Order: sequence, then structure tokens, then C-alpha cells
Amino acid sequence: MSPVIEVDSLRVKLGRREILQGISCRLGVSGAGKAIGLLGPNGAGKSTLIQTLLGFHKPFAGRARILGFDCYSQAREVKARIGYMPENDSFIGNMTAVAFLRLMAEISGLPKAAALEKAHEVLFHVGLGESRYRQIGTYSLGMKQMAKLAQAIVHGPELVILDEPTNGLDPAARLRMIQLIKEMKEQHGMNVLLCSHLLTDVEQVCDEVVILKDGKIVHQADLEAERKSNRRFVQLDVIGDDRNLANALREAGAEGVSETQGQWRIVLPADVEIGSLWRLASRERLQIRKLTHRKDTLEEIFLKAVGHIRQTPRETPTEVPHGRL
Amino acid sequence: MAVYRRGYQRYTEGLTSHATRMMVMPRFTWEALLSQKFVLILLVVSMFWPLLCAGYIYLANHSELWQGLGGGFKKYFSINGDFFAIFMKAQSVYALILASVAGPGLIAPDLANNALPLYFSRPLTRGDYILSRMIVLLGLLSLVTIVPGMLLFAMQAGIAGGDWFWKHWYLGAAIFVGFTLYIVTVSLVAMTSSAYVKWRVVAGALVLAFFFLLAGAAEMVNSVFRVEWASTFNPGYALGAVWAEMLDIEIPDDKPGAFECAVFLIALSGGLLALLARKLRAVEVVK
Repeated sequence: MSPVIEVDSLRVKLGRREILQGISCRLGVSGAGKAIGLLGPNGAGKSTLIQTLLGFHKPFAGRARILGFDCYSQAREVKARIGYMPENDSFIGNMTAVAFLRLMAEISGLPKAAALEKAHEVLFHVGLGESRYRQIGTYSLGMKQMAKLAQAIVHGPELVILDEPTNGLDPAARLRMIQLIKEMKEQHGMNVLLCSHLLTDVEQVCDEVVILKDGKIVHQADLEAERKSNRRFVQLDVIGDDRNLANALREAGAEGVSETQGQWRIVLPADVEIGSLWRLASRERLQIRKLTHRKDTLEEIFLKAVGHIRQTPRETPTEVPHGRL
Repeated sequence: MAVYRRGYQRYTEGLTSHATRMMVMPRFTWEALLSQKFVLILLVVSMFWPLLCAGYIYLANHSELWQGLGGGFKKYFSINGDFFAIFMKAQSVYALILASVAGPGLIAPDLANNALPLYFSRPLTRGDYILSRMIVLLGLLSLVTIVPGMLLFAMQAGIAGGDWFWKHWYLGAAIFVGFTLYIVTVSLVAMTSSAYVKWRVVAGALVLAFFFLLAGAAEMVNSVFRVEWASTFNPGYALGAVWAEMLDIEIPDDKPGAFECAVFLIALSGGLLALLARKLRAVEVVK
């Protein structure tokens, strides 16, 4: 299966400054409906990467490809397959939402009748059905964000590039936006490239994540695999005499570390069921107060990648001996 | 099924051709322009002069109608380069006013609302965008220039017959090429003004002022240095000189010729295009 985005030794200069310094990566799988998160501190080169993928900047060296087409030399083929939601306010003055979306759909290549139909359809989909005949200039910030999303998907692109889609949204609108992005990939098979400062948004939506810093990729992670691996990492709070728990866990094939009185961090091998912990606690006459799957948050992964922390909490237990701390 | 019940489905059918997409923006803009009363009134008023000219052509070709007026009148009723030059000059004024009304609303709103990334993230290049916007003005201005001009030429050729047509076919070519050169220049001035000036009224005034300011500057140079070559840089004169050459009308010997004027007009158009391309970018790059 070919990747959705393929970047090979890409260098982009704006004036004398080299913004992207030879980055390489392969992201997403064509036709699979995956979401890719693009993260990084301010000035890391996220927007420049997006703009290069859109063919707005000519690479100084290397190349960027989307769905097998070169982003600069085959820009027309690329642009026919993508939808873009810019970060800033972008619309056309003195136009109703329906007219605006019809114009955008027709420029993307939809015939007149289909463009009108899709304009109505997508406006209802994003929740602007009742206000579709209002001029976009009169919309609230949240409605404008939804209208921007609508124009990005009105022509049914294979890849949707979303630049800070939840900016300025209230909690309810943010949840609606996240839900829509999830639907785009899960129900409609679109690939999504999501650039956001809100790590929780990326964590909720994305399957892969790329972290940029100073124009270089400092971390690339498959969040789906991370989530699966995190299922084997358990945090357990018990009441009772837990002095023998470490040995009991070892006998069961698991490894555990007690952090403070009654609080344990346990790594379960693949063949050990989580239910065995209940049996084990019962045998040791321990009362379980809390059992959670402890995982590294995207925030922890991000902070480590950009150098703000040295290790994620999950990485800590591997460096301490088994038994009570 | 009602749209609100159907839910969103991705579009997977065939796409239109590039040429069809190019005409989308002009179609939307013409729709908006023709809904403005002022534009409609201007279009109607601009048809009065061609109608008068049509009457004149009819009279010129029906000498029996003014036989009683004497032979001296015959010289006033001849359809030649001078007649079409007067017609073109009059219509060019209407075209300029139309351009100053329609032009400022073409690009400035897109820049003010940051709409260019939306266009350029679709299969539309910067060149396509400029051409699409230009088609709006070319279409509108040709309604008051090329279309009535060619209709008058066809009317004269139809009434006067094949002999007249074979002797004067160059007049038809002059109307078409001369007006095309004019509306391309005016369109580029209007678009550049729209791209660089945010306020519609100021941008419109600038379109009109462009021709008067350059004319004034050229005349000033001519007077101060006691020369004539500065007239080349007067767009009004330059266009008139090119038209005169094509319509086979004499230009005074001491004035710049049609060739120099044509070169200036082409250079002017190139400069305006370069200015437009510089301004119309998907993203502002801070270097």
C-alpha cells in the first residue's frame, strides 16, 4: 500500500532562512482512512510543511509527494485530491454559505448540479443547515470554522489538511469538530492531516503523529500501536498487606513496582490476562480500590520530543529495581 | 430524499474540464455584477451611441433619403476609418467607466478575506486566477466595445455589399484588435488597482485617474523639454495612435508613431501583470 504523504530529504528555504532542514517520512496508508497529527512548538516548520504539501513553496532540495504525485511539479493532480482548511479566517465576502460552497465545489471540478447538491448536503453535515442562506461574514467564529471545514470536504477529497481546526471553539463546538473529523476518516475513508496545538485533540483523533522541532522531525509515533502497548501497563491501588504482592506477581509472570503504600505499577506480558490480577488480589486478601491502564499521554511524548522532559513516566519503571521503592 | 436526511456522502463521480473550472469564477462574478442596477444602467446607456452610429450607417447607404439636401452632404455620409475611430473613442469612455465600477470588486475582497489560499489549494494556479478575473472584465467590456463595433462593421458590410467588404476588411480587424488591446490594458489597470487598493471607491477613482495622470505627466514633459516623444507614455494617445495606424488614419509626423506606442502598451501590460503576480500569493512569506 502506498503512503498518503511521502517526504524525502525535504529542504525548504524562505528567503535566506532554511525552515525545513532535510526531513523524511512516510505517513498514512492510501485509502485506509487514517489521521496523522502534525505537532511542534511555534516556529518548528509545521505551517511551512503544510504549505509545501499544498504546492505553495518550491522545495530547495528533496521532494514531497501526496498520493504518489509530486507536490510542486504535479500540483494540479495533488490539489484535485486534497481539501484544505486554513488556520486563519478565509472566505469570500458578501456570499451566502451555499453560494460559497457551490463556488468552491465547482472550482474543484464538480458539475453545477452536483456542486449545489453537495453544498447543501455538507452544510447540514457540519451543522450549518439552518443558516446556510446567511452571508458568511455574519457568522460567529465557531460557524466560520465549520464553514471552512465544509469547503474542505465539499468535493470529497482523499486527503484533508486541517490547520488548527478547533481554534477559538467553545467546548461543545470543539467536541462536534472532533466528532466530524473522526467521522471523516472512519465513515468516509478520508485521510486527515491534522495540525494542532491542542494535544488532546490530536490524541483523540490521530493514528500517527509527527513532531517537528527547528525544521526537523524529532519524533514519529504510531499512536495506535502505542495505545495497544499501553493496554499491558496497569496502575493498581490496593488496601491491605501487600508485602507479598511483588512475589505473587512474579509467580503469575508479571512484573510490578510499588510506588507508595498500596500503589503499584504493573507490566503484564501478552499471555497474562488482566482478570488474573483480581484472582491474585483475592488470594492475597487485598482489596482493589483502583485499576487503570496507565499510558504515556501525547503531552508526555511531545514534551520529551521537544526536550522539555528527559523521559516519559512510562519509561521510569524500567530503570528501577523490582520490589518496594 | 431530503438533503437534511440523506447525510454527507463523498463525491466520487466525474470531474469537469479545466476550461469549465476556469469559467466558474467569471460566471459567479457576472451574476453578481449584473444584479447591480448601476452596471445595468451603464450597459444600457453605452448602447445609445452604437444605435446612433447604426442609424448613420443606414443613412449613408441610402442616398435616396437625403438626395434633396444637395451633393455637399455626401462627404459627411462616408463610412471609413474616421467614422470607426470616432465610434471607438466614444465607446472606450463607457468601457473605462465600466472598468472603474466593476474592477475594484474583483481582487480586493479576496485579499481582504484571505480567500487566496482557498483558491490556490484547488486545481487553480496563480495564472488561472488572474486569467479568470480578467475574463470577467474582458467579457463585460467587450459588450460595449467589440460586440457593437463588429455588429456595426457587419451591418455596413451587409448593406454596402461584398465589394466594400473586400476593400475595407482591415477596418473590421482594426476594430477587433484595437478594442482588444484597449480592454486588456484597462482590465489590467483595474485589476492591479483592485489588488493594491483596499477601498473600492479609491480603487475605482485610481482606474480613471491612471489615464489622466499619465496624460498630464506626458504633456508636462513635452512642454518643459519642448519635445513630442513623451506622448508615447500617454496611454490615451498611445492607444489612439495604434488605432489610427490600423484604421488607416494619418498621424502628424512630429508625434510618436504607432510602433513605439504599441511597444509602450505591451510593456505597460507586462509591468501591470508582474505587479499583479507579485501581490497574488497564497501565503505571505516574511523573508
